[in-house]
Amino acid sequence: MPLRLAAKWALIAPALALLLLLFITPIGWFIWESLTELGSLEEVWLETQAVLGSRAILGAILNTNGIALTVTVMVLVIGYPLSYALSRARGLAFSLVLLCIVIPYFTSVIVRTYAWMVILGRNGLINQILLGLGFVSEPVDLLYNRTGVIIGMTYVLLPYMVLTLYAAMKAVDQRLLQAAEGMGAKPMAVFAKVFLPLTLHGVTAGSLIVFILALGFFITPALMGGPGDIMMAMLIEREIELSHNWPVAALMTIVLLGITLALYALYGRVSDKAEGGFAR
Amino acid sequence: MRNDRLTLSPSRRRFLMLGGAALAAPYVIAGPARAAGQVIVRTPGGAYDDIMRRHVYEPFTKETGITVMPVAATVSKLLAMFRANNVELDLIDTGDGPLVTLGRMGALAPIDYGSWKWSKPEDVGADYRHDTRVANFVYSTVLAYNKTRFPEGQHPRSWADFWDAGKFPGPRMLADMASGQPDLEIALLADGVPRDKIYPIDIDRAFKSLSRIRPQIRKFWDTGALSAQMLSDQEVVMGSIWNGRLQTLIDKGAPLGFDWNENMIQVQALSVFKGSPNQANAQKLIDFMMQPEVQAKYSMDLQYGPTNQKAFGHVPAEHLTRMPGGPNSKQIGFMRDVSWWESNRERVNRQWSRWILG
Repeated sequence: MPLRLAAKWALIAPALALLLLLFITPIGWFIWESLTELGSLEEVWLETQAVLGSRAILGAILNTNGIALTVTVMVLVIGYPLSYALSRARGLAFSLVLLCIVIPYFTSVIVRTYAWMVILGRNGLINQILLGLGFVSEPVDLLYNRTGVIIGMTYVLLPYMVLTLYAAMKAVDQRLLQAAEGMGAKPMAVFAKVFLPLTLHGVTAGSLIVFILALGFFITPALMGGPGDIMMAMLIEREIELSHNWPVAALMTIVLLGITLALYALYGRVSDKAEGGFAR
Repeated sequence: MRNDRLTLSPSRRRFLMLGGAALAAPYVIAGPARAAGQVIVRTPGGAYDDIMRRHVYEPFTKETGITVMPVAATVSKLLAMFRANNVELDLIDTGDGPLVTLGRMGALAPIDYGSWKWSKPEDVGADYRHDTRVANFVYSTVLAYNKTRFPEGQHPRSWADFWDAGKFPGPRMLADMASGQPDLEIALLADGVPRDKIYPIDIDRAFKSLSRIRPQIRKFWDTGALSAQMLSDQEVVMGSIWNGRLQTLIDKGAPLGFDWNENMIQVQALSVFKGSPNQANAQKLIDFMMQPEVQAKYSMDLQYGPTNQKAFGHVPAEHLTRMPGGPNSKQIGFMRDVSWWESNRERVNRQWSRWILG
């Protein structure tokens, strides 16, 4: 259908042009400018080896992936039941839940992070409750460590998972569930054998989106993390702002971008398959 | 990382979140250009701008007709402007470190001391006057402590005390690399290095000293806002902090105290960006800002210290005791050597990453 294809491209063109102009060109320019600053290809290669070989970068890559993975699992565990509830809710309840999920979007990440610091601190709300009820005798460290980073990032990234899963769950044909029940399946079996497989592509897509976004996180780990919770974006920022070493920053950017693009390619394949396999 | 624009402290990281917006925003807002023209100034933003508008920019406009337009920009953005040969702002008001770097790159015009008519160059401390930059205020990193934990008189009085977790137990904080530079000087003082022998910093010795206190460090702070938050939330019982940040908390009634002993004096400075459109106006604004009365006013509001030594004469006695760079701080403190940092920051950054992740 050449006409439809052309129409599709025409519709995508403005967005593509915008991306090219505001995203791809500046990144390309930055990487080119920075790397040519090194002079020769050999220099670039030596610097690449130094960057990839340094313990700090490897540590940060491990940290970044570890944190992103944990956050993705947390978001999924909280997000799946929440999305299910949302897909069943009607009227006022639906609007309220949706509002609660979406409204934080309109607040600056920094404000939300500082709010968490008030709640999670040694003298914060949660510790006061725990101490008051006698559950603990010493304040629990929920902030300025890995736990703080995970809580903060899980909160910020939850809506991406919920909205993705909601779309997948809404698309499930209710009659399939009724048919399963009608044929004697217990609720758990209906869920495990029918509902879960039908929403699995949503799980994959949501998880990848969350994971990819988590890779580039910066504000939350810097504010809520402990001394060792260094992520890639924080290292890159320091190379640019403090060391003014743009070639190294560019190389680190390429590494992070490489990981992200590889995952994005995976995401593309999964969602394509989902569209083909579970078309509505 | 943090849009702490509502801050006074001279952090270089303040505009991270604004970066995108600032890039997209045109500097020159269309309007009838006044005959006297304008001057575009990079400032730390937020409350700082309000204070400067009141005590400097508005009186300056009244006097000369020149409009002052404060804008946000990170150091790397300034570097990018210079490299792209597209200098859009005239005056840079920032920590002196970035100005040393920009100066070494040849991006700054000389300060035209000869043209000054409101201020006298010789009134400005010799430490504060340089070819391409002149300091407009000083601030200090001080040892702050929680008074409920350590009553006055029994509080930590030196960085060696700060390192003594047996005598003064409790979680602490120090500056992170991301704040611009970690507190290596403080680590050396704690290790017994005398104040006048700190530079050139023995980096390995400093990190070794930091390793000893690290188990007690709850978090290394990267912005002034975070350091203030941690002290006022009692997340830490003591820490290094910029005096202005701390004073704001104390004035609000927080049970915090500090000791001027071994305070580290740092400098905020002004430079004219070479090749910018309003060179002469920028020089005039510097001249205007350096006046003793003007400096006294904004320094008091900022909780920092003036660089024009005559300005101290315009400050009430009870305020002098809280002023960095004044009689209380300078005798028992030391100046941070910004040139050392500009030459060694990259090396320290590498070592910091290894140390913090190791």
